[in-house]
Amino acid sequence: MSAHEPTTPSAPKRAGWAWRPFALTLPALVLLAAVIGYPLLTIVLRSLSEPQWGAQNYVWFFGAPINLTVLQRTFTISAWVTIVCVICAYPYAYLMTAVGPRVRLVLVLCVLIPFWVSGVVRTLSWVILLQDSGVINSLLRAAGFDGIRLIRTQTGVVIGMAQVLLPFMILPLYSVMKGIDLRLMRAAQSLGARPSRAFFTVYLPLSLPGVYAGAIIVFILALGFYITPALLGGPRSTMLSTLVQTQVLSLLQWGRGGAMGVVLLVTTFVLLALAAPVMRSRYREAGRS
Amino acid sequence: MKFKSRFAGLGAILALGVVAGAAFAQDKPVAGEVKEGSLKGKTLTLVSYGGIYQDGQAAALKEFVDKSGVKLLNDGPTEIAKLQAQVESGNVTWDVVDTDDLPPYVYCGKLFQKLDLTKLDVSKIPEGQVGECSVPAMNYGVVLMYNTEKYKDNPPKSWADFFDTAKFPGVRGIDGSGSPTGGLLEQALKVTGGDPKAMTVADIDKAIDVVRKLGPDTIFWKTGAESQQLAESGEADMLMMWTGRAMTAVKNGAKYAPAWQDWLVVMDQMTIPVGVKDTDASYALLNAYLGKHAQEVLAEQTSYTPINSDAQPKVDASVAAFLTNTPDRQKQGYKQNFKFWVPNFAAAQEKWSALMAGN
Repeated sequence: MSAHEPTTPSAPKRAGWAWRPFALTLPALVLLAAVIGYPLLTIVLRSLSEPQWGAQNYVWFFGAPINLTVLQRTFTISAWVTIVCVICAYPYAYLMTAVGPRVRLVLVLCVLIPFWVSGVVRTLSWVILLQDSGVINSLLRAAGFDGIRLIRTQTGVVIGMAQVLLPFMILPLYSVMKGIDLRLMRAAQSLGARPSRAFFTVYLPLSLPGVYAGAIIVFILALGFYITPALLGGPRSTMLSTLVQTQVLSLLQWGRGGAMGVVLLVTTFVLLALAAPVMRSRYREAGRS
Repeated sequence: MKFKSRFAGLGAILALGVVAGAAFAQDKPVAGEVKEGSLKGKTLTLVSYGGIYQDGQAAALKEFVDKSGVKLLNDGPTEIAKLQAQVESGNVTWDVVDTDDLPPYVYCGKLFQKLDLTKLDVSKIPEGQVGECSVPAMNYGVVLMYNTEKYKDNPPKSWADFFDTAKFPGVRGIDGSGSPTGGLLEQALKVTGGDPKAMTVADIDKAIDVVRKLGPDTIFWKTGAESQQLAESGEADMLMMWTGRAMTAVKNGAKYAPAWQDWLVVMDQMTIPVGVKDTDASYALLNAYLGKHAQEVLAEQTSYTPINSDAQPKVDASVAAFLTNTPDRQKQGYKQNFKFWVPNFAAAQEKWSALMAGN
């Protein structure tokens, strides 16, 4: 990409060979075009052509206050879920790199086993835990906190979604962290840095690519969440996917449903484009140190 | 045994009646009857909502399958959007579709065929349930269930009490699974002094306001299972519930009782989509489904109320307590203003969705 990037000595000079790696990606590209590209194009077209050609569906979307409220709420909830995931996953992933192979296996299984359980099942377990007569509220009541409502609130939705999405944060973080040479920390400390200083100036910047990768995956997955907010949430935590479902499945307004999808997609792209420069500069910093 | 012989006698009389009926009108279809081997080599796909309900429907149709030689496939759940995609693309693979109350009226002639009643025996279907594009699949009810421990000697008796949080404090649970329930909105409108018989679009807003005023504690349940769970855990003090779920919750020990006054009459509908490959085969299935024996099997397996008035399902007391076709229940039932909801389905759905999304 950039000029100062090191070139591998074995890189082939003959131009005739350059197409080969691309040829290998051809099956993936064809698949992407068929199952993502084509349907996406159809959605965009339908959002502009149903019931007639024009921007009516978008006019409708931005004209109804409820849509904007829910759009904003979708982003707020996703941001909270991402923050909660980073806070929970960071120490966990670090622990995975610091322990011996046996304990690590246990830790990996603790992440993966819930990952293999269906999201619906996990969400329903949260219903049991979070409900007013559930375990968590009984404990809170015993501790003197009465009348705290968790289920059917945004807090409940964030807790449930964060748990479902946690593996997507832990795994990329772990894969970056295990590549960090822990001797760098020792080197920093031997040069007089306090452990906290060594962490913040050496370890944290090196682990940031993992944080970004995980955060982006979690944030984007959270934006499209449907079942967890539907089951754990109430009216005040409805997310955009639920509104899309109503338009498409109950009202057969495929154009409107498409427009909602396109708005969500474009907004996500814009946010990521805004975040990209920050991340890129951090990457470089991490690369330099 | 005396009971058995009496029963056998009744069966003989009925059978005679059927034979006599068949002899008088040879080509007229008789509910539950199908010609031996008439659909050999053909395949029909029944689409419904899965679970014990669709299993029960398959069991009810077993006799039809065995006799006609048809191969019956099951698919689901019913999604009108999927059906629309099939009709639009001209490739309809669903031959008979079980739907909610309203869709056959809203999309009659567009997605669902207008039914030719000379091909069906609808004589045993309860009055007023045959639509232009549908016959009922089964009957059930939406009933007000209340926590007997909370309200003790002063239980709520009607929907008016359900909407009265001053006289009856407590958490309410409402069906938030998708479409609005017309009957509930009509009951809410009555609270404001409005007249459901002369309902207008502006009245929908009034009715929804009544629901909104129940307060932020109100629970909108998303699935039947959730409503049952709310009753069994005691989360809600008054619940709007489907009779099947209410029955199961009480069976499982929930301390809830029904207030039957103005229970809301609802049903599933059986339809034939526009553009099916073999219309007559679909009619044959429908006609068999409406039969006495088929409806008895369905009721026994699912606890839903049969739609053949001759059907005498053998069910235990806990199920019988929630069947809605007894004379008493028929008197207490409340039928929604169909004429209003069909053309205003989209408007109602839009307003209801806004309430569901926290507006």
